[in-house]
Amino acid sequence: MSLQVILYGQLTEIIGKSLTLTTVSDTDALREKLNKDYPELQCINYLIAVNKQIVQENITLPEEGIVALLPPFSGG
Amino acid sequence: MKERSPKNIFVQGPIPPAMIADSIAKHQTKYGIGAHSIFLGQVRADELTQGTVSAIEYTAHEEMALEKMHQLRESIIRVYELTCLHVYHSLGKVPAGEICLFVFTSSRNRKAAIEACSVLVEKIKSELPVWGKELCENGTTQWKVNQ
Repeated sequence: MSLQVILYGQLTEIIGKSLTLTTVSDTDALREKLNKDYPELQCINYLIAVNKQIVQENITLPEEGIVALLPPFSGG
Repeated sequence: MKERSPKNIFVQGPIPPAMIADSIAKHQTKYGIGAHSIFLGQVRADELTQGTVSAIEYTAHEEMALEKMHQLRESIIRVYELTCLHVYHSLGKVPAGEICLFVFTSSRNRKAAIEACSVLVEKIKSELPVWGKELCENGTTQWKVNQ
């Protein structure tokens, strides 16, 4: 398993532009791991998109793909 | 009606006023249109605790934003029976006082154009994966929060 995680907005200042994960099974585990590695994340409400689809509930992560972490939108 | 493909909405830097004027002029030959509604978003020089905002720098998940905009476009055109719809959003740095969002709706009668424009602006702000970072004159920054 090799998942690429791409960060956006203020998350880039906490984590960087991207990271590669090898051991997380689902989106809840991903949140848990990231919150542990980057405690500042706990005060940011971010959405997870798996292969460009925003996921609302916990889902199993695919073997390969791109996960995008999207903090609150502030366009316009 | 044939399926439209996603259009690019992103403009690097500020949206020039001349582009807005040109866009209006291009509709002069569309005789079925009786009303246009336009929304222009402009970068404010907000006074933050750490300094005065001199520009906003925009970034986006471009692919997701364009797909989302495509869905919004299709549904707004259908619901309000619009004749035309154009949306442009800046990426990169936009200095205070310059235009960062241009939404342009056209229809037979005023109500549809006005309502569609207003509904779409709200959706663009809440549903498109775009982020604004406020840059202050003294070099400090703050991530923008939409009201």
